[in-house]
Amino acid sequence: MPSHPLRVAVVCSSNQNRSMEAHNILSKRGFDVRSFGTGSHVKLPGPAPDKPNVYDFKTTYEQMYSDLVRKDKELYTQNGILHMLERNKRIKTRPERFQSCKDQFDLVITCEERVYDQVLEDLNSREQETFQPVHVINVDIQDNHEEATLGAFLICELCQCIQHTDDMENDIDELLQEFEDKSSRPFLHTVCFY
Amino acid sequence: MESSFGEKQRSTVASQFFTGTEDAAMDMTTNEKVVDLLNQAALMSTDDKLTALKQVQELIINKDPSLLDNYLDEMLAFQNDKSIEVRKFVIGFIEEACKRDNELLLKLLGNLNMVLKDDSVNVVKKAILTLTQLYKVTLQWLLRTKSISDVQEGCWDMVTQMKGEVLAMLDTDNDGVRTHAIKFTESLIITLSPRTSDSDVPKKQEGDVSLDKVPKDHSYIRYDVLCEEGKSALEQLLKFMVHPAISSINLTTALGSLATLARQRPMFMSEVIQAYETLHANLPPTLAKSQVSSVRKSLKLHLVSVLRHPSSVDFHGQISTLLLDLGMAQNEIARCVPAAAQVRKRPRHEPYSEGKRIKMEPALIEDDDDKEEPAPVIAPKPSATTGTQSAIDITAEFLLPLLTPENVANLVLISMVYLPDNMPASFQATYTPVESAGTDSQIKHLARLMATQMTSGGLGPGLEQCKAREEEGKEGEADAAVAESSSKDPIIIRKVSAVSLGQAISVVGAYKSEATEETPQAKKLPEPILPSTQPKVPGSSGRKKVFRLADVVQPMSDSQLDKLTSMAVRRILESEKAIARSGMSHVRVKLLARLITQFEGTMKDDMLRFILEDIRSRIDLAFALLYQEYNQYLSQMPSGSLDSYEHCLFELLSGLQERPEQRDGLFNKLVLEAPLITESALEVIRRYCEDESRVYLGMPTLKDLILKRPSRQFQYLHVLLDLSSHEKEKVRSAALNIIKWMYEKDHLRDYIEKFALNYMQLLVHPNPPSLLFGVGEDTEVAAPWTEETVRQCLYLYLSLLPLNHRLVHELAAVYTEAIADIKRSVLRVIEQPIRGMGMNSPDLLLLVENCPKGAETLVTRCLHILTDKVPPSPDLVERVRDLYHKRVPDVRFLIPVINGLEKKEVIQALPKLIKLNPIVVKEVFNRLLGTQHSEGSSSVSPLTPGELLIALHNIDSTKCDMKSIIKATNLCFGEKNVYTSEVLAVVMQQLMEQSPLPMLLMRTVIQSLTMYPRLGGFVMNILSRLIPKQVWKYPKVWEGFVKCCQRTKPQSYTVLLQLPPAQLASVFERCPEMREPLLQHVRSFTPHQQAHIPSSIMAILEANSRMPEPEPPQHEPEHMKVQEERELHTQLVRPMTQVETPAPVVVAPPELPPEAVARREEIEEPMEEGEAGTECLEIATEATAQIEALAPETGVTPVPQAKADEPMETTPTELAEDQPREVVEDSGAEPETRADDPE
Repeated sequence: MPSHPLRVAVVCSSNQNRSMEAHNILSKRGFDVRSFGTGSHVKLPGPAPDKPNVYDFKTTYEQMYSDLVRKDKELYTQNGILHMLERNKRIKTRPERFQSCKDQFDLVITCEERVYDQVLEDLNSREQETFQPVHVINVDIQDNHEEATLGAFLICELCQCIQHTDDMENDIDELLQEFEDKSSRPFLHTVCFY
Repeated sequence: MESSFGEKQRSTVASQFFTGTEDAAMDMTTNEKVVDLLNQAALMSTDDKLTALKQVQELIINKDPSLLDNYLDEMLAFQNDKSIEVRKFVIGFIEEACKRDNELLLKLLGNLNMVLKDDSVNVVKKAILTLTQLYKVTLQWLLRTKSISDVQEGCWDMVTQMKGEVLAMLDTDNDGVRTHAIKFTESLIITLSPRTSDSDVPKKQEGDVSLDKVPKDHSYIRYDVLCEEGKSALEQLLKFMVHPAISSINLTTALGSLATLARQRPMFMSEVIQAYETLHANLPPTLAKSQVSSVRKSLKLHLVSVLRHPSSVDFHGQISTLLLDLGMAQNEIARCVPAAAQVRKRPRHEPYSEGKRIKMEPALIEDDDDKEEPAPVIAPKPSATTGTQSAIDITAEFLLPLLTPENVANLVLISMVYLPDNMPASFQATYTPVESAGTDSQIKHLARLMATQMTSGGLGPGLEQCKAREEEGKEGEADAAVAESSSKDPIIIRKVSAVSLGQAISVVGAYKSEATEETPQAKKLPEPILPSTQPKVPGSSGRKKVFRLADVVQPMSDSQLDKLTSMAVRRILESEKAIARSGMSHVRVKLLARLITQFEGTMKDDMLRFILEDIRSRIDLAFALLYQEYNQYLSQMPSGSLDSYEHCLFELLSGLQERPEQRDGLFNKLVLEAPLITESALEVIRRYCEDESRVYLGMPTLKDLILKRPSRQFQYLHVLLDLSSHEKEKVRSAALNIIKWMYEKDHLRDYIEKFALNYMQLLVHPNPPSLLFGVGEDTEVAAPWTEETVRQCLYLYLSLLPLNHRLVHELAAVYTEAIADIKRSVLRVIEQPIRGMGMNSPDLLLLVENCPKGAETLVTRCLHILTDKVPPSPDLVERVRDLYHKRVPDVRFLIPVINGLEKKEVIQALPKLIKLNPIVVKEVFNRLLGTQHSEGSSSVSPLTPGELLIALHNIDSTKCDMKSIIKATNLCFGEKNVYTSEVLAVVMQQLMEQSPLPMLLMRTVIQSLTMYPRLGGFVMNILSRLIPKQVWKYPKVWEGFVKCCQRTKPQSYTVLLQLPPAQLASVFERCPEMREPLLQHVRSFTPHQQAHIPSSIMAILEANSRMPEPEPPQHEPEHMKVQEERELHTQLVRPMTQVETPAPVVVAPPELPPEAVARREEIEEPMEEGEAGTECLEIATEATAQIEALAPETGVTPVPQAKADEPMETTPTELAEDQPREVVEDSGAEPETRADDPE
């Protein structure tokens, strides 16, 4: 029995697709969840691979939405970006950058290895104060809508299992091993301290 | 966790309180609010309680700290709350309170000590976090105080004790607690070591206390002691890290801690780097692949952070090598090196580094010893080696020149032998192709790697030198008692004396001294504030570092061992569902199987019972066990015993048998997949087969076994064959069906046939052999053959017969040798198989043709069976005819094929046939008349019914007595459907036209008339036509003629009047009463008509009134006789005398009671005798009732075997006398009465 609801952070690069999909599902399942990006900017696909739409983290989803509608409504409807932004708007107003958030979590889930590295770097560069542990787990998810949905379910399942362990810190290792076997993908896992 | 959370929420809680409730509580003082909240909190649910308590905390710590002391007890009362969250909150409160007012440490440390032993790990973790903070707070507080009171001293002792407990938690079972303990250790080391100018100092910890702030002249807290404690903590941490089974999270945590240490206390840089090197070369084998990558990632991250620190400059070589191995590019590494580092030297912490040698010094540290010994601490300082040169360095230097290509090649070759079969995950992850092989730097690297390994393995000159140094140092020591303990871990002793109350696992002579120390110490320790009357838990935390199993365990008694073992196994057994959920069932199954086969005792039975409770879902367990048992047996070959395996298999199979529902095929599966079928298992299978409700399972299984286990095929087949004579019909027929199917297989055929033959040949024994009664039964040698035992011997053979006709010859051979009872039984049971063979079977035909002597009845029986429903084939007829004519002239052979014979043959055989037993005769007639089988229309009789009747009339009375003929004709008349009036009319017509007239003509006429009165006219016609044939010359016929006339008056008057006068007179002689009516009849004629009556006739009619005896009649007979004799001579067939003698009998029947007649007839029959009669009877009727009735009679008769051999030719007279009664009752009487009782 966990003593309190897990405080979860889901982190991807731009806090748009993967982290938001997971955020969406996790909050529906009643988790205390927040989502972040680690990139220096928010990047959304543009008309060509080398021409992404770049925003800073202050831009709201609403603004991005309007911007894209203005640029090429057809294209962004077709590739699902508008739909995604629509969903994101309903969850929160704007993307958040992990490095700027000083709140504490019990569990940080990252969506790709690069993000995991950035999260670790950030957490380790912070000054330790309370020694409150935070577990960081990386679940590799490709950055497209389908994988994001599948990944979100995996994350959700993982969180539920962790939430239901008697002693999260003691059981998490084994739990992750099981999940690795089950989902046949490796998880990076480490612990950092606040 | 909570404190930070609390901090975060503090403002919100406070603001809530002040905005939300301000109006209402405006006039309430803070004091009142606190009381109110506390009162409410006591009754609230956990969440609300937390909110209320947070408000209280806010009020009494931040808003009005003066209240803190007042409400301390009330707050601490929640320390025993059942909610973990509330307990954690209280710990957070303790921390905040102590930080706010250090004096409270005196009161609250005791409480913290209590919660450090809380049941919930989450509470313990929180307590550790708080202790991490409060340790520093306490130290700082005490350092500020110049003169320290007893209570404060106690306070410090308490903190020191708790510190020890937490350090000991590095060895607990709980991963999370260990993680927290590591972090505590990290913080402790930082605190207990001096901050130097090159230390990184986090801003928030700027004000934190550290060793350099501890004055060397403090009255109670001793600099050197703390210094040692710090170093020993580091040592513990390093030791902890090299534990081979360390979890990945602990390892990551420790790596991080080391990096922090290296940055904040660069004096430890060397240890940290060494630890990293050791770890990198010895990643714990327990780590999974992904964990290895996680750990390597952490290592890389932390190495980089260390690399960035200016003081790491001396170690850049090692760090870069490590980073390269971890996959970082050279230029990336270069980017991480701070520019200033190049210039930096490593001067400052030199004195301290030298001081670290001291850590090897064991006895300096008795912290309660008052004698100060700082001198020895510094004593080893002058040792020659430089600070950074460790054991690894020395060994590496030593190795370097030795790494010649030749040596290296040898090393590689030798180590090949020890390579594991599978590449460990850690190796796979860490392996990078060796760049720059053979260069100096690579050789150096290799030397260092090897040195690391050797040192951690306790080898190498470096280690020896270090040890030597230690020894040197030790020699200076006074405390010999301590020195004798292993020099490896001197800290333990100190810890024990400082901390433990006696639970230490391994204490070398320290307990006594400690006890004396304990008493004064106990007084000084802060008492926890106990809200309830909870007994104080004594400080309990032993060090487990030097752990020897033998010290803590005692040998258990055998019974204890057994009990524990079986309990353990039972737990594994019962954890079925939990394990299934985790997907590890196969591991459990394997584990159980292995465990159970290794132990004796009841465990096996328990397990088997467990399996059988739900064998369906536990079948894999059953198989695992079975295979494991078998494996065990194989591994002990050739001396191994199969008992255990057999027991296991037997129990499983028997257990299965008791289950009600069996359709799942588990039994079959178990049998077929078992590695070996033992005798007892076969017995169970046999039991299955014998159980009528299981036979449907058992038989197919046995069949599969025979087909799929060729090595013991015949053993299984034998069981099946055995079952073929089983007493239960269902079992037997199932077995027979399978055997028949298998008989088609060439490789099994011989065995089956031989078995069947052996079994059948048992029949030649005078008594049934014991084999036929089950094994268990007492074998009475003298027991007679019974129907049952005979059949037992035959079931199998007979079922094979239709498949292999050749077998019939052996059957016949056995038959001839067998005793009469057996013969009878054989005749009864062969019907099915013979019918199955069919009359075209060449072997059967051969049997008929050869007809072994003594097998005549058998052959006859076969013939009957064959022709029972279908007409005989010409082939068969031919054989029978041959047999009959050439070898055994017994007419009974002909009966079955009678319809296949030619008319002439039938007529020829007829006299013999009708002399047989009446029932047989009846059967013959049935066959001939086609009245036997309803669907037998296809069988065309060679004789029409009319022809048959005529043939009967024409039988030569020398060949057959009149009795039999009459009986035979009676049989014909019995078949009213066949002998219709038309048929009879034709018969009469033809008979009448014969010359001489058949003797029985008139009898037939009369009988026909009786049956069909409407034939009257026709009969009159016959009668009148007989007159020209001078019917009176045949006495018998004539007699009948008169009789007929007598019956048919007045119609016959016309006929009578046609007779010559002499004959008319003869009529009247016989029947005088006829004269008057005839006279009246004539007188009623018209005169014209009367005129036609010759006067001679009239004279006879009126004779009574005149002369009774006229002359002519006397003359006439003479003449008649002459004529008659002449005719007889021409025919040369029928002597008159013979015809006449039986005549009275023919007429007589009406006077005799029918039974008597029948009786007499039977007695006179020459050929019917006992044995043969019985047999024929059976053959003919097939009525089991009769068989049953007869069998006992014949059975009790002691029949000599010699006679039984050829029953047809012997005549046991007793039987003959019994015979008629049966016959009469059955059939003989009816037609006779009908025919002979017209009057």
